[in-house]
Amino acid sequence: MHIPAVILLSFVLAVGFLLVILSCALWGNWLPLLVALTFVLAPLPNALFARCGGDDFSTEYDGSGPVDLGRFITASVVVTGFALPLVLAHSEIIAPGACAMSIAGGSLVYGTIMAYSATFKEESSDFD
Amino acid sequence: MAVPRHNYDPRRVCINPFPNISLGKHRRIIGIYLAGGLFALANWTFLDAAILSAHAHSPYGEPERPPPVHVGFVDWVPGLFSLLGMIIINLIDKDRVQGNEGFGDSRAVWRARLFLFIGFAFMAGGLAGSVCVLVLKYILNHFPEQYTYYGYANVSQNVALMLSAIVLWISQSVSTEYEYTLSI
Repeated sequence: MHIPAVILLSFVLAVGFLLVILSCALWGNWLPLLVALTFVLAPLPNALFARCGGDDFSTEYDGSGPVDLGRFITASVVVTGFALPLVLAHSEIIAPGACAMSIAGGSLVYGTIMAYSATFKEESSDFD
Repeated sequence: MAVPRHNYDPRRVCINPFPNISLGKHRRIIGIYLAGGLFALANWTFLDAAILSAHAHSPYGEPERPPPVHVGFVDWVPGLFSLLGMIIINLIDKDRVQGNEGFGDSRAVWRARLFLFIGFAFMAGGLAGSVCVLVLKYILNHFPEQYTYYGYANVSQNVALMLSAIVLWISQSVSTEYEYTLSI
């Protein structure tokens, strides 16, 4: 059951990167590559700060400072990923087509990462 | 016809109740994500104006002439003030402000409230400063709309920063209570 999901997700990831790289290469302007970097880095703060969230005795939704900081940074990085190509296209540094393609590709990459971590969360908890 | 109202609340004024939005346990998480998104949106709104100013050119079909105004350091100052205020607000221990005089010394409550006031004063100062920049630098000089956009972007940056700080404060301070009491 999990093998097709892995294959599908890897295909989606490849398509996302393809879109981002194409958006750079078609117009010969490699600034949209920053979008891919942003979306790849987006889940990192959550992953880093998730372990700081307190011990087994604290309730799950209580939250703590580091976890909140991770969520805050994650949300700002995701919004940055959407805003950066829009801003670049607004000031006519990149073409509008490159903007749309890099946003689509970046959200595919980010969605793949989110879907992967959501799909395989159960397995990792077994080995905890 | 006089059906007794379901869920009657004697404090109610309107017949139709306000929609009782309850996000449940995820309120804190959603609030923090929202605050982060607003924070990035605020800064990108202003950076958009700054980048646009750096790459400004005349409209197509017109002879190239230098733009009359640029985003300078003055435009950055209100955002910096708002950012400083946001940092100050978030450094405060929130239990102290709620006024539990029982624990700790009572002067700590007073000091925490003073810091909260200073933080919000910084944010309000940033907002007022951005409106000042908009009016004094852009509107009074009668620049075309292409350039007054810089001022409007500045104001919306500060509004979004303030909203972000408020959302962050609310979502962090109401989390532990089960009932939603909006008490800042």
